[in-house]
Amino acid sequence: MPLRVCNFSLLLTTPILMFRQTRPPDPDQDLVTRAQQGETRAFDALILKYGDRLYGLVYNMTSHKEDTHDLLQEIFARAYQSLGKFRGNSAFYTWIYQIAVNLTLNFLKKRKRRTSLSLNDMDSPVQQDPALIDTTHEANPEKQTNLNELQIKLNEAMRKLSDPHRMVVTMFDIQGMSHGEIAKVLNTSEGTIRSRLHYAHLQLQSALQDSWEERF
Amino acid sequence: MKPSVEQLGNLLALQRDERPEEGYWQGFLCEFHQTQRERVVEKSGLMNGLGRISAWFSDLGPSKWAYGAGLAYAAVTVAFFLTPRDVEKENTPASPVSYEVVSPPTPPAVEQLNQLDLSPSTQGNIGEQVF
Repeated sequence: MPLRVCNFSLLLTTPILMFRQTRPPDPDQDLVTRAQQGETRAFDALILKYGDRLYGLVYNMTSHKEDTHDLLQEIFARAYQSLGKFRGNSAFYTWIYQIAVNLTLNFLKKRKRRTSLSLNDMDSPVQQDPALIDTTHEANPEKQTNLNELQIKLNEAMRKLSDPHRMVVTMFDIQGMSHGEIAKVLNTSEGTIRSRLHYAHLQLQSALQDSWEERF
Repeated sequence: MKPSVEQLGNLLALQRDERPEEGYWQGFLCEFHQTQRERVVEKSGLMNGLGRISAWFSDLGPSKWAYGAGLAYAAVTVAFFLTPRDVEKENTPASPVSYEVVSPPTPPAVEQLNQLDLSPSTQGNIGEQVF
């Protein structure tokens, strides 16, 4: 009789164990706990750890350095104030990335309403950033110029995309995130992400068509 | 000729290394801490202000009820004047509606009623149960 009870309990627990997704421990758990206890240096370490990636996300969305700086201040301030509510249901990085995405999309909506920002008001990252110069083309200045012009065209085309489409392209192609990760952050299905990416890629390909024919 | 998705991805990936200039994060952290300190001071100032008001109010003794009533009266008056009046609605002209009144169908006569035994012996008295 006890054996039967034991089997029954196994039957109940096995499916749960089979389908439970084991999440790897958050690498930032220690820093987050210390920051939650009021240690400001721990939060500074988190800023320094993820600052560059969040900067990339926000800057590629806003194309404006001052806006990026202000938004990053707001993102980290919001995270710092809400740190007490962070229960570790997701990794800290996913959590702060979601905050960044939401605040950035809200900011872009407000900016659109406030003023229609001219393309000339925006920074052109490729022209100004020496890190983006392709070193493989150093010996061929003409090819490098072509590439820069292509990048400028690409940035213009990116700005013409809607915010959700640009966000998906930024996360997938620039930040190198997977469809699943993007879906989790944007709280939507992978199918939606794939569909948005497909549409955005078609738009970008069409926008680059003329320049591509000329250059290559 | 269009670039392939892969070529497009390669072009976009060039922007992966987009980073702020060196020393940016030091300045960023200074500004962040400064803002946080200001917020804490602002918050504590607000809390102090509220604390002072509540302390002053409780020190008033029995007259606090008079002050309270006066404040409530003022609040109601302000609310009365600030509430927007109802805008008169335009009367829409009544248009005649014609429809056919359908008389309800007459129920079929219950023939079984005649077959029921309604003799006094089976009816019983009102309010009484006959066993």
